Amino acid sequence: MEFPAALFPSYFATGPPQEEGGPALAAGWGEHDQVLEAGPGRREVRPRLSPPRSGRRCSGTSAVPASPCLLPTGYWVTSLEPEDILYRGVLYKKLKTGKSTATLDFTKQLSHFFVDHPEDAFGSMGQLLHQNFFLGNSQLRRRARNSSIRMTALMEEIDRLEARHGCPQQHLVPRLRWFSHICRDWLFEVPLRLLAERLHEELQLQWASLLFDDSCTGGALAWLPSKDLRTGCLVYPGRQAMNHLYFQDVVLKDLPRAQASPAEFELNGRIRQVAAARLDGEDFVGVRSDYHCGVWRVPGRMGAAPTPLQVIQTDVPASCLTVSPHLPGELAVCTQSGAIYLWSVEMGLQRLRHDTKTMFFRDHSPWRWSDFTAHPRVLSCADRTGLQCLDARAPEKCHFDLFKVGQEAGCQQGERVVLPMYLGTAHPSQHLVTTQFSVYVLDERLPMVPVLKWAHMMKDPPLFSHLTPGGSGRSHKVLLGASRTQELILLQYQGKRWGLRGGGLSACQLAGPPQKLHNIMGCLQHLPTQLPHHHHLLQQRLGAPAAGLATALQEDGPRESLLVFQLSEARDIFYQRLIHEIVEPPAPILMDEAVAAPGSSPLFETTAALRYRRWLKDFSKGHGEHPQHTRPSIFSQKRIFTRRELDMSAGLSTLHQQARQQLRQAMQEGGLIQRWDTPPPQPSLPEFLEPPGGRDTLSARLTTAWSEGWCQWSEEKSSYSMAQRQKALRERRRRQKRARGRRSLSASFTSSHTYQSELSELSDGAPLPPPLSPAALPRETANSPPPAAVLDEPLLSSQSLHCRGIPKERRKTLRDYLSVCAEEPPESPEPLGSQASQACIPLSQS
Amino acid sequence: SFPQRKLDFSKSKEACLNYVQDAMLQKQWERAAEFLACYVEFLEKDFSRESVGPAEIIWRMGAEILCHHPQSSIREFNSFMEQMKTLGFKRYLKVCLEHSFHLMCNGLMDEAYQNLSMAESWRFGEHATTQVKEKKLIQAYRGLLDYFNWCKQKNILLEHGQDGFEDLSVEQEMHSCFRKAAVNLQEIIKIPGVWDLFVKCYVDLLEFYGDHNEARQVLNEYAYNSKFPANPNAHVYLYQFLKRHGESKKTLISALKILHDIVPSHELMIDFNTMLQKSKKSKKRRLGLEVIFGVLDYAGWKENVKAWSCLARQIKQIIISEKHLEWIKEEWNPRKDWWPAFHFSRYLAKRNWQENESLSYAKATVAGILLGKDCKYFKHVLHQGCKAQVKRFRMLKRFVNKHNHACLRISG
Repeated sequence: MEFPAALFPSYFATGPPQEEGGPALAAGWGEHDQVLEAGPGRREVRPRLSPPRSGRRCSGTSAVPASPCLLPTGYWVTSLEPEDILYRGVLYKKLKTGKSTATLDFTKQLSHFFVDHPEDAFGSMGQLLHQNFFLGNSQLRRRARNSSIRMTALMEEIDRLEARHGCPQQHLVPRLRWFSHICRDWLFEVPLRLLAERLHEELQLQWASLLFDDSCTGGALAWLPSKDLRTGCLVYPGRQAMNHLYFQDVVLKDLPRAQASPAEFELNGRIRQVAAARLDGEDFVGVRSDYHCGVWRVPGRMGAAPTPLQVIQTDVPASCLTVSPHLPGELAVCTQSGAIYLWSVEMGLQRLRHDTKTMFFRDHSPWRWSDFTAHPRVLSCADRTGLQCLDARAPEKCHFDLFKVGQEAGCQQGERVVLPMYLGTAHPSQHLVTTQFSVYVLDERLPMVPVLKWAHMMKDPPLFSHLTPGGSGRSHKVLLGASRTQELILLQYQGKRWGLRGGGLSACQLAGPPQKLHNIMGCLQHLPTQLPHHHHLLQQRLGAPAAGLATALQEDGPRESLLVFQLSEARDIFYQRLIHEIVEPPAPILMDEAVAAPGSSPLFETTAALRYRRWLKDFSKGHGEHPQHTRPSIFSQKRIFTRRELDMSAGLSTLHQQARQQLRQAMQEGGLIQRWDTPPPQPSLPEFLEPPGGRDTLSARLTTAWSEGWCQWSEEKSSYSMAQRQKALRERRRRQKRARGRRSLSASFTSSHTYQSELSELSDGAPLPPPLSPAALPRETANSPPPAAVLDEPLLSSQSLHCRGIPKERRKTLRDYLSVCAEEPPESPEPLGSQASQACIPLSQS
Repeated sequence: SFPQRKLDFSKSKEACLNYVQDAMLQKQWERAAEFLACYVEFLEKDFSRESVGPAEIIWRMGAEILCHHPQSSIREFNSFMEQMKTLGFKRYLKVCLEHSFHLMCNGLMDEAYQNLSMAESWRFGEHATTQVKEKKLIQAYRGLLDYFNWCKQKNILLEHGQDGFEDLSVEQEMHSCFRKAAVNLQEIIKIPGVWDLFVKCYVDLLEFYGDHNEARQVLNEYAYNSKFPANPNAHVYLYQFLKRHGESKKTLISALKILHDIVPSHELMIDFNTMLQKSKKSKKRRLGLEVIFGVLDYAGWKENVKAWSCLARQIKQIIISEKHLEWIKEEWNPRKDWWPAFHFSRYLAKRNWQENESLSYAKATVAGILLGKDCKYFKHVLHQGCKAQVKRFRMLKRFVNKHNHACLRISG
């Protein structure tokens, strides 16, 4: 292949990167950086110059989002989220801006372990001691007292601690301290220190992988095209653990359509990467999981069964698997121990390098990558600091540096290699290197100096990339995909030929501005309105990190289009279509096509919508089938309705009962009360709606929920109850004043209940309407006992307890017990009842 | 409260910027322009002024939008850039350079030249290292424009010269252009970097005025200075210069030998091979064989008819002469485990035959000699060739049969 006759001018310096980098959001715009003659200038009177980014080109985009292609229904394992392991109150966003550091919630995780795995945590000691621990309420008999202790009080203390979680004025309970001090050394099955160390280690690993997970580098989706470009085979992982490999034949028509059932292989671990290369009319598919790598051969014809060829096992997780585009059955494998292997199905493994240290400067990441180059015996190997090329025939002696994070390529400080890729199908000696800031195109023949550089401005580092070679005179298209943010960026670049008069090849240029493609999450806004909890589930499902990327070139008569498939960690595959748009060249040199997202063809939209509809139905059904697997249920009867409330609503009108029955049924099925696709017949509201005072709150709420007037209802209700509450408060204050004289002793005992209700109000973050006297109200509730406690006051005062012959040490327990009983209010306490329901409404909406 | 409002303000500012970015990435330039205008308004109301970021953001995004906006004109672009130049002295040179690039790409060479001259005369205290670099670049690009002017004058003069008409003023202007260009260009090519364009122009100027020594020195420096990157083009320019000036074969070969060491897959390797084959020394012919084998190792040469014919011819010669059979053996040994799969598979035999008969002939010759007559590639192509009654394939069959023992010695 020819080398460009002249390259873009640039300085060359060695050493570590000096630049600090501009504003990340705009770093890739508005810069030509350098220009070059756009043609053999000497012969022309008026020379023309061109920048590395030839700009003027236009194309249309459309609002049609990514459409579903293959959507497995049913349950999926939601991935870990920062909230799960971070100490609560620390927001992820804040972390990202670097304003606060992460605080891992270590104690919560440890306590989860004790609760979830009591056998592993305390197995033998528990068995030995269970006769000596007494958990009942009655007094211990004298004989038993010698050998057992009462744990009831201790348990109560623990429960109370849980209730006061997060309280700044948490009192340490001496009894608990005493117990933990005595037991710490012998109670645990695994020594506590060891357990804690392991847990902490794991937590930190999880946190690191949350911040940046490189295990899925390369992506787990591949497209194997057929000769006629109308059909092909999609290779992707499936099942809940992503440990099943599927080869699905797909026909590309208006929509990509699955044909026949897929070939399925069950593997021994979660599939991290699927790599493919076409050689001699056959496809070779490499599959990487953490400790196993396998290779399959797929014959070129449609419907032919893939055959597994070989599997290797590694001791250390593998970080890379690439398939040779030159020789059949050859692959490159890297492990996190720093070893790079050339794996040939016939010859076995050949270790080319083993070095735990990084190549150019020190970096802690064990990630390694390897790919092929223009020479079938020379492999590139990469770590976070750069790329080297190794000759497999003499790996120790023959190697040269291809790319280095440093001034040679004009890198920024802190820049690291994220994903290298061999661009062999576009140009045999070019490589793509992406970092978290920029993309570089490198030529093996001129190492160290990138022939093209562009700051990609992506929010998350690109972990997936895919090249669609341009062919005759067309630009090559590189798609970059990020995992967590699902970003997709399309870049076009080219090295054009200067006419036929032996002009030679021009230097590499970006063709047109980069284009952002729709991501999976973007289709949420085009979906019909859902019930809040369904919406939330959908949001979670569609927002799952991306796990792979593939493109298919489709030729449909004169129109040529590019299908972009995106795989998410929820195993959904979405696609979008990009149509080539021949743009009239504004200047004689700049002639090539741009790519546009699909026009709004009505057929496309309706068929996609149909597919969505079917999927949504299955989706909600799937969630109904596995209620035990879904996220902790949002509706909890125990917390929303007290038993009394439920009982009261039992004997109501038949219409009401009917409504309740339907609601229950809908909740059981997890379906919708109203279908979104048919305009719902509006139930006549006025018949049901009565002033809230006239009926009990539950029936009123159900009635309005039935007719979709929730928000309004809750607003009305809360403002109404506010007034009521204030009235009650005033009343209480009056009573308090009266009682102050005789109640001075017992005042300090009654705070626990107040505190409880206060907490539940605060933690729910309910959008309460502003109280009439905003400053006065909270102080009021904090200082004074609630009405329920006041009512029980004669019963609770220590004098009265003493009168009834209750020993001093049990009085407090009794008081606590009574205060808990008082939580379910007696007949008439509207203030409390409304308070409780107020706190629930936002819960059920969230 | 005030801090809250401040936070909200900065949040919406950020959101606005994100909208601009999104619109730009979706090529909605009108929308992006509107949002950018909003962003500028935000900045005007923002008194916190925490960094120099916004100025650069506006420059970069604004320039990009104006490049693509359907209603923008070069005049608007110019006035925008003029405003941007006043925003900060640190960025002045960079903005000037970008502005003139834009003008150059639009063919407005004179305006670009003015811009560059203005930037060059700009003085502001001490320069940072990046500014020194930018200044040198500005100078070099001005030199380039001088060179283009010189070419123009030269063309005028040449056309008029044919008519027997001489214009002194044109000639004078041409010489002054030469002086300016030469002074400006020779500066930057002393600094390590990739300066293909500037070196070519400078050498062209020097050659025109007959200063061959200087030209050779410049090219030698550009190719062989170890501080410069290993740019294959530097060697190509030197080789072409030497060839133009009728240098001896030996010098040419030594120049290409160095290029071969850097880039064994360069397209000049075919010339190199031909040159070596013509040599009388057996050492050089041996090197020639190595070069052509080396070239065919690379994926980019896989289907190059010229390279395969070269190799086929040379191997044939060696087989016929029955001298130096060990050369072939030495080259073939490290390749025999992967060349058959890489070059001589049955699939490739079919495809090459369908697509290019000469290629399949040359490859079949090599395959027949190196792998023997039972090789899949050889058998398939020969079968097809004989079926199509092409004469040279029949001759090839006879040739391989005749020299079977030599072939066996190589592959054995």
